[in-house]
Amino acid sequence: MAKTIFLSFLIFLLSTQFVFADSQYVLPYPSSMPGTFQYKLRVITEPLFKLWYFGDLARFKYDLKQSDKYLVEAKTLFEYKQYLLAVDSLKKSDNYFEAAKKDLKIAEKRKNIQEQELILKEASLKHIEIIEWLRQNTPETFFWRPEKTVPTNLNIWRNLDASIKIREI
Amino acid sequence: MKKILFLLFGLSIASLAILSFTFIDPNLGYLKNFYTGFAFSNRLAVTASYIILVAVLFFCFWIFLRLYKEKKLSKKETYFLIGFPAFLLLSYPAMLSYDIFNYIFTSKVLFFYRENPYIMMPINFLGDPLLDFTRAANKTALYGPIWTLISAVPYYLGFGNFLLTLYLFKVFVGLFYLGLVFLIYRMTKNLENVLFFALNPLVFIETFLSGHNDVVMMFLALLTFYFLKNKKIISSLFSLFASIFIKFASIFVLPTYLFAAYKMYKSKPIDYEKLFFQTSLLMLIIFYFSFLREEIYTWYAIWFLSFLSLTKITKTKFILVTVFSISLMLRYVPFMFLGTYFGPTPIIKIGITFVPISFFAFYFILKNKLWQKFLK
Repeated sequence: MAKTIFLSFLIFLLSTQFVFADSQYVLPYPSSMPGTFQYKLRVITEPLFKLWYFGDLARFKYDLKQSDKYLVEAKTLFEYKQYLLAVDSLKKSDNYFEAAKKDLKIAEKRKNIQEQELILKEASLKHIEIIEWLRQNTPETFFWRPEKTVPTNLNIWRNLDASIKIREI
Repeated sequence: MKKILFLLFGLSIASLAILSFTFIDPNLGYLKNFYTGFAFSNRLAVTASYIILVAVLFFCFWIFLRLYKEKKLSKKETYFLIGFPAFLLLSYPAMLSYDIFNYIFTSKVLFFYRENPYIMMPINFLGDPLLDFTRAANKTALYGPIWTLISAVPYYLGFGNFLLTLYLFKVFVGLFYLGLVFLIYRMTKNLENVLFFALNPLVFIETFLSGHNDVVMMFLALLTFYFLKNKKIISSLFSLFASIFIKFASIFVLPTYLFAAYKMYKSKPIDYEKLFFQTSLLMLIIFYFSFLREEIYTWYAIWFLSFLSLTKITKTKFILVTVFSISLMLRYVPFMFLGTYFGPTPIIKIGITFVPISFFAFYFILKNKLWQKFLK
């Protein structure tokens, strides 16, 4: 009996793949995607929500949350090979991340931002981890040919590299 | 005899104010010269003193109301009784609750840090000296936006001085208490109703000692009905809106408010006595349901007491209110004595709150044979 238990445990250990996250930072679930009514509504209401998040630290919270959301959106779109939309979402995420960095710079003058700096550092690590994964799983360039509009040559890796650079702290 | 009673009343209030200073938080550096730690090392003595003082104040409440009914109190004496509890404004406010520190921090988040207090929590402001003694610092603003906005008045008048701000918050709340008492008088034209509200130790301790903003919300709730009675619908709606956005519990007055407005629109007579009693029952319901949010807090009783004070004060009402108010004031005893919110504290608090009132309610049902009225 003891032998069987030991053998089962050994098999379990050998067959189990251990996964360790690089960062403790948790990204949100993907929400509504481009093309849906909810997405349009979300884009329209975004500036209104931004008004509610007044103050440097609240704005930082908002911008980082948006950056996370658009990064997850970009990742999902990349996985579905919707490269044009994915690159667009990634750029939005970049813009929000840059804004979050700026918010902290402004807040630094009057407030203790130790906690927020730590959050930003964790977020940047997680973001870079995702973007690097995307770089390994996407083509360097892609010629996007839509049905009725002008085709676009997407330099995916260049965009991803730029996104990493923005997030390096 | 009356003189002794007045002296007893005055001394009890003064003693309560002195007792409050034994509760100074050790982390409250602004009052370090007054810190003794007495309440934390002499729990039995402090708890016993608190129970005795509360008992004496409720005794005075009962006697004074009786004296007024027997027309043995002059107008001057009555005004003195209504005004004297304001002496507790001088007390240390965090004897029974730490909420006042939360009011100040919420104001500071908005007016000093210029951040949205409904997004940012006090703990987000590392290094702030108020964090040393503010409780529930891991929560965003707990009160409605109108309260947060009007709290600018005591906050700015404090000019950044913590102690001045602390006492100005109490004075600010006290002004609304005055307004509320005045409204009760205007709406009832009877000083007995005013005494029934203002002399209740629960009301004046929670307002003048702890500085709870419930009187602000209730002043506006009563103002809503006052304007409605005088057919000033816009002002009435404005007051209702303001009251709801001080504390959302005010939304519970809506059914009776709409009913009265409908009757007014149809030019039908309104029985205000009945209306205020029903509104007080609605506020009692939300009072009981407050455990769903956190727990039943003593000062929430001000919600239904304010409306009940607008109705005829019967003996039954008076006894039930007194018993329930005493029970609610004794909810502080388990923590005061044991020094913990855990262990037997929660169950003792539930027992203290509901057993006496259930006993008295049962007694009244039996005495008045109320079931016979239902069976008829």
